[in-house]
Amino acid sequence: MPSENENPNIRLLKKELAEGRIDRREFLRFATLLGMAVPAAYAFVGERPIRPAAAASAQGGTLRLGTRVKSLENPATYSWGGYDSNVTRQVCEYLTLTDRDNVTHPYLLEKWDASPDLKTWTLSLRRNVKWHNGEDFTADDVLWNLKRLTDPAVGSSFIGLVQDFLLKSVPNGTDKAGKPETKLVWWDANAIEKVDSHTIRLNGRVPQVAIPEYLFHYPALMLYPGDKGVFGAGSQGTGAFTMTDYQIGKIAAVRAVKTYWATGETTSWGGGPYLDEIQFIDLGDNMATGISAMASHQVDGLVVTDPSQAPALQAMPSFQLYKVGSAQCAVLRFHVDLKPWDNANVRMAMRLGLENAAFIELALRGLGTLGQDCHVAPVLPDYGKVPDIDRNVAKAKELLKEAGFPNGFDTELAVPSDIGWIVAQCQAAVEQWKAIGARVKLNVMPGAEYWDVWTKVPFGCTIWYHRPLGVMLLNLAYRTGVPWNESGYSNPEFDQLLNQAGGILQSGKRREVMQKLQEILQQDGPMAQPVFAESFTFMDKKVSGFSMHPTNYVFGNRLSLAA
Amino acid sequence: MPGFLVRRSLTLLLTLVAASFLVFSITEFSPSNVARETLGAYALPEQVHLLYEKLQLGDPLLVRYVRWAGVLLGLRKDPLDNPALGLNIHDPKGPRYLGNFGYSTLFRVPVNQIIWNRLGNTAVLAGIAFAIIVPLSMLLGILAGMRPGSFLDRALSVASITMTSMPEYAIGVILAAIFAVWLKVLPGTSPLVGGTGWPLPSQFVLPVAVLVLYDSGYVARMVRASMIDVLNRPFVRTAILKGLPRRRVILRHALRNAMIAPFTVILLQINWLIGGVVVTETVFAYPGFGRMLLQASLFGDIALIEAATLIALVIAMATQLLSDIGYWLLDPQART
Repeated sequence: MPSENENPNIRLLKKELAEGRIDRREFLRFATLLGMAVPAAYAFVGERPIRPAAAASAQGGTLRLGTRVKSLENPATYSWGGYDSNVTRQVCEYLTLTDRDNVTHPYLLEKWDASPDLKTWTLSLRRNVKWHNGEDFTADDVLWNLKRLTDPAVGSSFIGLVQDFLLKSVPNGTDKAGKPETKLVWWDANAIEKVDSHTIRLNGRVPQVAIPEYLFHYPALMLYPGDKGVFGAGSQGTGAFTMTDYQIGKIAAVRAVKTYWATGETTSWGGGPYLDEIQFIDLGDNMATGISAMASHQVDGLVVTDPSQAPALQAMPSFQLYKVGSAQCAVLRFHVDLKPWDNANVRMAMRLGLENAAFIELALRGLGTLGQDCHVAPVLPDYGKVPDIDRNVAKAKELLKEAGFPNGFDTELAVPSDIGWIVAQCQAAVEQWKAIGARVKLNVMPGAEYWDVWTKVPFGCTIWYHRPLGVMLLNLAYRTGVPWNESGYSNPEFDQLLNQAGGILQSGKRREVMQKLQEILQQDGPMAQPVFAESFTFMDKKVSGFSMHPTNYVFGNRLSLAA
Repeated sequence: MPGFLVRRSLTLLLTLVAASFLVFSITEFSPSNVARETLGAYALPEQVHLLYEKLQLGDPLLVRYVRWAGVLLGLRKDPLDNPALGLNIHDPKGPRYLGNFGYSTLFRVPVNQIIWNRLGNTAVLAGIAFAIIVPLSMLLGILAGMRPGSFLDRALSVASITMTSMPEYAIGVILAAIFAVWLKVLPGTSPLVGGTGWPLPSQFVLPVAVLVLYDSGYVARMVRASMIDVLNRPFVRTAILKGLPRRRVILRHALRNAMIAPFTVILLQINWLIGGVVVTETVFAYPGFGRMLLQASLFGDIALIEAATLIALVIAMATQLLSDIGYWLLDPQART
């Protein structure tokens, strides 16, 4: 039903759907992103929203999950979505929620509206949300949180996402050596604006289609201003639980609150809580420990599972495997400013030297999907269809010869040791590259050490977690000069196409642009990327209501335990 | 004796200063820094640079060391504990006090808030293990040493060598596989969390068993060797020739002398049990001192590494002092 004030972009999407240029899933993804209500969007395509399995009638009980209990004090600086934010998200909530199908829903928001030029986003808050102490959740709370998240001194990675949209660099005197310095400030005094008690407006500098997704970035939790940005046992929140126990490196426990504003909500994420308590128990980094703890039923499930743990857990009949396709991958990336990687032929030869399909077994024990050396996963809604890159040793050798390496060359690959499957991927790649004459020495280093040099090493293997859109990943990793462009890649044509992709809403057209971007990466790009890891984990069969989220998020209010 | 104690204390102090400076200078060779660790992997280079400057991390090593020592002695404020930095770092004891080890970048809490708890957990584990290892290995060593070459001696030797040569990791995984996965009579991990269906005491059984199996054989071999040595000494022969019953010869004459050499070895086990049980604690997810030190080292958490090093050193020196005093009491020759 067309309405007068409907976003013209939504009208465009409807037209594209009618003409068969986009599929239903894609329509849902973009229509909801532009502020169309989820039930309305599903109704338009003639489907019902997917609901999680209705929680069993059993109520109460304590669920125990094996994880790492990291520091929770400062949510704005969380950097381990799967670990730290999973405890806090039971207590505090987000403005939006991106579900396992990459569809973004209003969460603490009732709805959002985007201006046709995608620069102005109006966020309308739900009116029935209350903090645990009974106070109303209002626009002032949101304003306080967004101000904090966009303050560079706070150090939140949220800034990286909205830097172009909300901030600008201004001169800030000179440093000791007399070099001019800059600092980031809001680009306009009204960049984030309170409209009324339940409405916030974001006035952006540039068009940005992914604002709702950004609001679900794991540090963007809505904290109670009175807690001054510090999270701990007893902190206020709007969520279904409150934290009762927190001992770093040991345990974090959350207990259900009596009055949760979303109890009885029939949205795909609301309802509950059904459990009395959730305990997050620290099991450390040792792979055998997770298996032992599951085997002796000390925990009912694991928050994050490594592929090396899968065979043992699959062999135990009381556990259920949950998995979902994701865009998580580890890119074998070359620093294009350094020899020999400045030569596109060498980079292409490295891609041709790998048998991508073999890595699904070798690195991921079957829990993965084929990569195409372009960092955009087919599960993402904006994926453009590109051909696979097959192994071709003869061609690779020829390219190396052209590049001046008729007898191959020696190099070193840096890899962080803390994620098991990444090391396995690198070991397998090193073996395969021998055939084309690339003699690669593996340098396995502690994760913390790697993260300090990840943008500097000539050749490294970096994990990139799931993002709900391919264009987000390409913007973060391959645009000229952005902070996380670890390869130093700079291609004006690529940047121009990225700008174009960020500004078009017509999905068919956008996908054409994405296809071109992916082709550039396949032919000229600064990395090889053989596989995408599936997100998966194991839960006891008595746990119900669980579904795997591509970023390992746990939504405790939906879970229950069978007696 | 008093002079000896004073000399020992001075040595301890010097060693502490030297060791802490050595550990501190190692950070020079590590590519990471406190600013990056504090803000995490995903912070922008600009944000890291800002903090780097504010913390004056570019200053010479010696300057930074003196600054660190000043914080420890309570002469200066912890530079990270500054509301102006917006890092939310706050030590409930205040920014300046004696024994301020600073702020752990890994756990994001003041070092004092985490390290004593971990040390306590490890002390419990080590205490139980020690209380079993000492009598058990002494008994086995004495029994084996009394009749070298006998069947009992051979059997005990083979068993103890086998257990000692197996890595702790392997013993841990094998025990967990048998008792936790297969027989399901013990919990496979020991996070010291109650209410998981396994009472707390049951969570100590497997880690203690690993430590006892791994270490007893070694100590028993030491006791055995010393026992054999003492039993061949002239005074024992004299006692036997005097016509004393064998039992009395062993209990009254041989045993005390046979304990002098292993005494040092046994006390050294305390150091190992406090700082060296990394593997056992990791395999069983035991929230102890060794596992914490491993995590801190992998992360490059300099404040925590420094504190742990100093504490481990104090414990090592204290046990050494204890062993010297014990030696002095056991062996009249050492008293001159």
